[in-house]
Amino acid sequence: MAWTWFHRLASPPHIYRVAGRLTPWLAWPAALCIVAGLIGGLVLAPADYQQGDGYRIMYVHAPSAWMSLFAYTTLAVAAGIGLIWRMKVAHAVAAASAPVGASFTFAALVTGSLWGKPMWGTYWQWDPRLTSELILLFLYLGYMGLRSAFDDVQRADRVSAVLAVVGVVNVPIIHYSVVWWNSLHQAPSVMYLGKPTMPPSMLVPLLIMFVGFTLFFGAVLLVRLRGEVLSRERSASWIREAVQP
Amino acid sequence: MRAFLDMGGYWPYVWPSYAVTLAVMALNIIWARRLLARSRREALRRLAIGGTQK
Repeated sequence: MAWTWFHRLASPPHIYRVAGRLTPWLAWPAALCIVAGLIGGLVLAPADYQQGDGYRIMYVHAPSAWMSLFAYTTLAVAAGIGLIWRMKVAHAVAAASAPVGASFTFAALVTGSLWGKPMWGTYWQWDPRLTSELILLFLYLGYMGLRSAFDDVQRADRVSAVLAVVGVVNVPIIHYSVVWWNSLHQAPSVMYLGKPTMPPSMLVPLLIMFVGFTLFFGAVLLVRLRGEVLSRERSASWIREAVQP
Repeated sequence: MRAFLDMGGYWPYVWPSYAVTLAVMALNIIWARRLLARSRREALRRLAIGGTQK
């Protein structure tokens, strides 16, 4: 009895319908937050006393880096659930998450490198934070490459899920790399010991961007999830209902 | 406006950062919609050839 909601959640037609209905509720607030965050970060926030206007890269760099970790955690947790409970929908979530996470990892690396040049004097350094984030990109690419090597979706799901779960060890390494090792990269300044090191005029646009990026991830994930669910489905009756106009 | 575009001399780093991030977001929207459209097309084709179970 208590598990009925779980089974309903796992039923592909239900997911397909709910995801479709939910998408605009994430997409529009995401757009709103991102526009507000852009105005706040580029126009309203004051220049930094050390980095001048160069620090404004933070408003796209930090949320992209956050997305890279959030998407991977989503991927790994979903893949783990898929492995343990043999849930098709969980595997679909994992598969839907990967390209989104990979693209934001790319954005985090590029924007970080563009920030590093004027502030550190170099685009790239084999530094713990930078290297572990690059490994994250390779994990994503490995996961997607592995998936595409199988014609059978079910086998692709199972094999790639193992890689995803093993790779999750990299997530805390990335997060704590700046604490565990000497790094060029600064330590966290938003959540550090619960006390941010930025004034509200700088911090609020950043927090709005974090919310906006997370909602954006949710919206894109839902659209991809519908595609992934549909491609795993073989039951004619609901495909007819879902797809036909 | 000029001062805004100049970003205190950091424009060659600030604007490409924003451009790359917004491009990644735009591509994500396009790719996701394309994936869904393709899955729908393929599902319809499976229906048409009767390659699905009742």
